[in-house]
Amino acid sequence: MTQTPIAFISGASRGIGAAIALRLAAGGYDIWLNYHASHGPAQSLREQIEAMGRRCTLLSFDVADEAAVTAALDPLLDQAVPYAFIHNAGITRDGLLPMMGRDSWDQVLNTHLTGFFLMGRLISKAMLSKRQGRIIAIASVSGETGQAGQVNYAAAKAGLIGACKSLARELARRNILVNVVSPGLIATEMIKDLPLDKILPLVPLNRVGTVDEVSGVVEFLLGPAAGYITGQVIGVNGGLYM
Amino acid sequence: MEELKEKLKRILIDEIKIQGMTPADLKDDMPLFGDDGLGLDSLDAVELVVLVQKHFDVQIADMEEGKEAFASIASLANYIHQKKS
Repeated sequence: MTQTPIAFISGASRGIGAAIALRLAAGGYDIWLNYHASHGPAQSLREQIEAMGRRCTLLSFDVADEAAVTAALDPLLDQAVPYAFIHNAGITRDGLLPMMGRDSWDQVLNTHLTGFFLMGRLISKAMLSKRQGRIIAIASVSGETGQAGQVNYAAAKAGLIGACKSLARELARRNILVNVVSPGLIATEMIKDLPLDKILPLVPLNRVGTVDEVSGVVEFLLGPAAGYITGQVIGVNGGLYM
Repeated sequence: MEELKEKLKRILIDEIKIQGMTPADLKDDMPLFGDDGLGLDSLDAVELVVLVQKHFDVQIADMEEGKEAFASIASLANYIHQKKS
């Protein structure tokens, strides 16, 4: 990598995605930062990244919208190919399946899984000619263990794990490594309404994790020390699932 | 057509990165895929689709269509020529 490597991160304006963007920028990456609606936080992140001397390209689009994905990424991919793609965009629409509306199912599956398909298809095609690259999907312990009230979310995250394992096999001979980082309870807005007093006893480390503990694993997986790791699911869950 | 075939050979060597060969080593009717030919694989086919679009502005819509075109350098040159004319 003689040029400054680029990391493209979906759903990066807040939470884990924002932490990944900041850590990778500090580690020397230029950032393509996707977000959907949170323009203020995205703009603030860009300023922080640029203050580190790195470039940050803000990409506002819905990852599940094929036309929007193509319109945003095609022109950029004509100019440069990211070394890393981190698919972090995600939403929750929790509810018990018997009462779950079709919209809640579709929105969650479309953002996590169709988003990965739409962006991954374009980016992996571009990475082929470079004979290198790293793709990471941010899944969830829910996708590994299942979670009541999250049939849609768990299905989407489990789908990402299967997709990444398959893609890892497809792209390995081009030195493109594909892995999954699977967080457990991480201190973000997503867990603010959860009854932590009831859940934490299930976590052997007996605490929630931090976004930095997730972004650190992502940074490791992008580095040279992870050059022999592909098709793996790396849990960052305090021992909640082993 | 000869110019087109020469350009394709150059692309195969320079961008698909066929090892140990020069454009002069590539025969027009040499199969692109399989052990009897150049030995390209399925990912090479994807790259070739991208390169054909980039260099010739010809889109190969799906791999089924591409299969016939990718039989050899001559068939690919024919395919591009037909699409451009």
